[in-house]
Amino acid sequence: MKLNHFIAILVLFFVPVTYGTVAAQDAEAISEKAMNAIKIQDMEMVSTINIYDAKGNVRTRQISMASRKFAECTKMMIRFLAPADVKGTTLLVHDYEDKEDNQWIYMPALRNVRRIVSTEKAKNFMGSEFTNADMSKPNLKDYDYKILGEEVYEGKNCWKVEAVCKTDKIRQENGFNKRVSLIDKNLYLCYKIEYYDLSDTMYRTQYISDYRKLEDGNYFAYKMTMENLKNGRKSEMIVDKFQLGSKLPESIFSPSMLDK
Amino acid sequence: MFKFKKSMFVVRYRWWIIIATILIVLLSVVRLFQIKTNPDLWSYLPDTMLSRQNSKQIDEVFGDAEPLLIVIGNDDVLHAETLKRIRGISETFEADSRFNYVFSLFQAKNIRSEEGYMLVDPVITDIPQTAEERESLRADIRTNELAYGLVVSEDFKTALIILSSNKSAPDGELMSFVHQTIADYPGPEEIYVTGQPFLREDVNKNISRDLIVLLPVGLLLMFITLWLSFRELKAVFLPFSVVVFSIIVCVGLIPLFGWELSIIGVLIPIMMIAIANNYGVYFIARYQDMNANEPHLSMRRIVQYSVEYLTKPVVFCGLTTIVGVLGLVTHLVLPARQMGVVTSIGIAFALLASLLFVPAVMSLMKKGKPHKDLTGEANHFFSRLLTGVGKIITKRPKLVLGFFGMFFTICTLGLFFFKVAPDNNKVLPDKHQFNEAIRIVDRDFGGSKMLNVMIEGDAKDPELLNKLVECEEKLTALPQVGSVTSLATVVIEISKAMNDPNSEAYGKIPESREAVAQYIELYSMSSDPEDIERFVDFDYTNLLMTIQFKADKIADIDEVLDNLQTVFGDDSLNQYKPGGYALVEKELSESVVTGQNYSLIFAFFAIIILLAIIFRSIPAGLIGSIPLAFAVFCTFGLMGWLGIELNIVTALLSSISIGLGVDFTIHIFWRIKWELALGKDYPEAIKNTLITIGRGITINAFSVMMGFAVLFLSAFPLIRSFAFLIIISLFLCLICALVFIPALSLVLKPKFLEKSF
Repeated sequence: MKLNHFIAILVLFFVPVTYGTVAAQDAEAISEKAMNAIKIQDMEMVSTINIYDAKGNVRTRQISMASRKFAECTKMMIRFLAPADVKGTTLLVHDYEDKEDNQWIYMPALRNVRRIVSTEKAKNFMGSEFTNADMSKPNLKDYDYKILGEEVYEGKNCWKVEAVCKTDKIRQENGFNKRVSLIDKNLYLCYKIEYYDLSDTMYRTQYISDYRKLEDGNYFAYKMTMENLKNGRKSEMIVDKFQLGSKLPESIFSPSMLDK
Repeated sequence: MFKFKKSMFVVRYRWWIIIATILIVLLSVVRLFQIKTNPDLWSYLPDTMLSRQNSKQIDEVFGDAEPLLIVIGNDDVLHAETLKRIRGISETFEADSRFNYVFSLFQAKNIRSEEGYMLVDPVITDIPQTAEERESLRADIRTNELAYGLVVSEDFKTALIILSSNKSAPDGELMSFVHQTIADYPGPEEIYVTGQPFLREDVNKNISRDLIVLLPVGLLLMFITLWLSFRELKAVFLPFSVVVFSIIVCVGLIPLFGWELSIIGVLIPIMMIAIANNYGVYFIARYQDMNANEPHLSMRRIVQYSVEYLTKPVVFCGLTTIVGVLGLVTHLVLPARQMGVVTSIGIAFALLASLLFVPAVMSLMKKGKPHKDLTGEANHFFSRLLTGVGKIITKRPKLVLGFFGMFFTICTLGLFFFKVAPDNNKVLPDKHQFNEAIRIVDRDFGGSKMLNVMIEGDAKDPELLNKLVECEEKLTALPQVGSVTSLATVVIEISKAMNDPNSEAYGKIPESREAVAQYIELYSMSSDPEDIERFVDFDYTNLLMTIQFKADKIADIDEVLDNLQTVFGDDSLNQYKPGGYALVEKELSESVVTGQNYSLIFAFFAIIILLAIIFRSIPAGLIGSIPLAFAVFCTFGLMGWLGIELNIVTALLSSISIGLGVDFTIHIFWRIKWELALGKDYPEAIKNTLITIGRGITINAFSVMMGFAVLFLSAFPLIRSFAFLIIISLFLCLICALVFIPALSLVLKPKFLEKSF
């Protein structure tokens, strides 16, 4: 699990407010504004992940996340708060701009810190229906954009923007062929994304809601839901607490501190 | 006087009889258009079967899925082009919503520890382009217990793609997609497919093909036989129409009862061809006989005499055949029961049509030219042969009985090699790619059979996981077991990646529940969450153990089950439920044996009682059943000697052969009794019996055997085996009736034969 995947979560949660005339903009520009206009900042948050199977059974995870940038490295710590049997399990990620990131896991039952590596990109995030790939901040140049039309979604006028992967490699890495997003014309908030698989069949739908305005004027989505149409599963991520900025010292983000 | 009235009835109400018969046939024709085929044997099994109930419960928890295996063979499957082909095929399936999951070299995970890292990667991240890269990949795979021997053979000459169909598509659509996908990625590799959807799809096609081929051929053969025998249009037309009518009525009953045509259903029309003409031909033969010998008689009078003369023996023969075939109703497998019901009704219809419709139509027709003897050389040959047989029997009856005893002993020694088929794989030909793939999977991947065992309990409990490990060790020690996978396997793999090889925790189930939970959480984070749900349900209260094995016989499956019982049998906390197709097939095979035993016992007792009633003597019932027992046990013995297994089709054999074979005995008893009543002594009575009715029985037996011989053209090896065995069995019944029964009668001189009619 790479740090940029976690950062991506924030990208999706954290949406900039960009006012202005948009009528003349093309699809790529709309997408760029919606996706790429903010910078990740230091933060701390507690969130709940509810994972539902096709029969409606639910598995709940509560995690705390803290992220701070130190020089060339952004460091993030994710700790399980619930359920009880995995409480204290902690992931530490050091993300470097110019080299591969480092990850460690601490398992309290083993009192063991272990370095872990994974290179898979289209992997599910924390056992949910969200994948690391579709939560990643996308590279704008990887897609061909097209405005499919306009749609009113929950009373808001939205653009319906299609982003199609340019190459097979990008398709394989992402695990999807294209996505179609509904982007609010006024605030550039994205409310819904439909994902199409490699055979161009819609297989997952993401809903982003409960946007709240932060003190710096940006918006932050407190709830995301991903429905998997193929296996009938659903996952939701709900932010319980959010704090912009973090005062945690760098020493906390050290592997040797994980078992302390 | 009574008999006269009866024959008058047929003539008086002939139009009513003809109209009623045609109406019944026309109504049945309408039904024929509603007939559906159903090749899924599973769907016919009673819900009460334990393995079905268990499988249903396992499906409810772990999802209703059905595996399909694609075997890819090449000199080295790690060649770039072969790997590209495997990737193309498996990724196409992976993207398709009709499959729950796809497992191949490109989906298998590699959990390993390297220089302090835990790596969870696909087995193949990049297709090797050079020989060095290929050898490096080979070395990696050899150490990967989640891939080596599971998706690639140990000699790297075979790769496997395991598909899990979610049963959302009909078999035809699914298999067409599978074959098209394989064709879309062409290559020099040999590819074989196996799995139940493939089996059903092919069986379905072949049921229709069999009916299209066998029915016309059978009817044509029947027509030719009748023409060669009678050389008179009405003489051929009438019994032939009885056969066609009976087939229509009999097969029309299947949709009427809301049933579907299974693979066994292919036998139904052919059985009717073989049996239904048995009764009508007696009338034709009698008519031609009287027309030739008493030319002054009118057609109406010939009909009346024929009805009077033939009603009783024809009814007896029909009844005994119906009773024998009704034995199939005691089978647990629904198609066998259905066959018992519809063929019994079909035979009853043929019997009634022969007793009523044939004489009614004949009474409306003009007499033909007196029929000359058509048997020619055959007549002389049979007469000479049967005369010789009669001489031997009457001279050395005890020697004849001794010879039969010896033959019986030699044949029944074959029972030691008698085998019950553990599955239905032989439904398709041995060289069919379905069976070829099974052979390769058995050879290279530890077995093509899957047994799923669901264990209730706390999935994170180390004690329970250690039990799984114990079970896995016991099972993998068995030669027939290829692999056992469960949550314990995954947890141990994670422990190897998370601990140093010299650590105590390396390769072991952790000691605390929390540690297990944290391992599982780590795995869920590192891979597709549905991966782990192949081993444990969503709320961690049910575990699934998958046992891959091969089985040549039911005992191989029983041994696996015994080991499960040893580990979990006394555990009241962790109840276990074995299920899966292999187990259902095993229970099906066992129920086939039980069903056959029941039907055999039913048919034997029913025949004994019927013979006792017909001849008003219990010894008649007992002696009369000896040829049947002889034929049945000798046939089973020969099956053992020849390596023919008892299966869902061959298990129908005994009831049918008893039902048909008893007719020969009845005719022999009837004639000996007749001859004795004329004042002849036993040797004379026996000789006369053989040259008179013996010839008729022989011709009748051969015509029935020829009817069944059409089944040799079937696409199903099971049905071809059935054809061979039923012919052998009928031949043994015939020989026994012609030789054994007269010899035994001569030795025992039973009183019932000497009683007056």
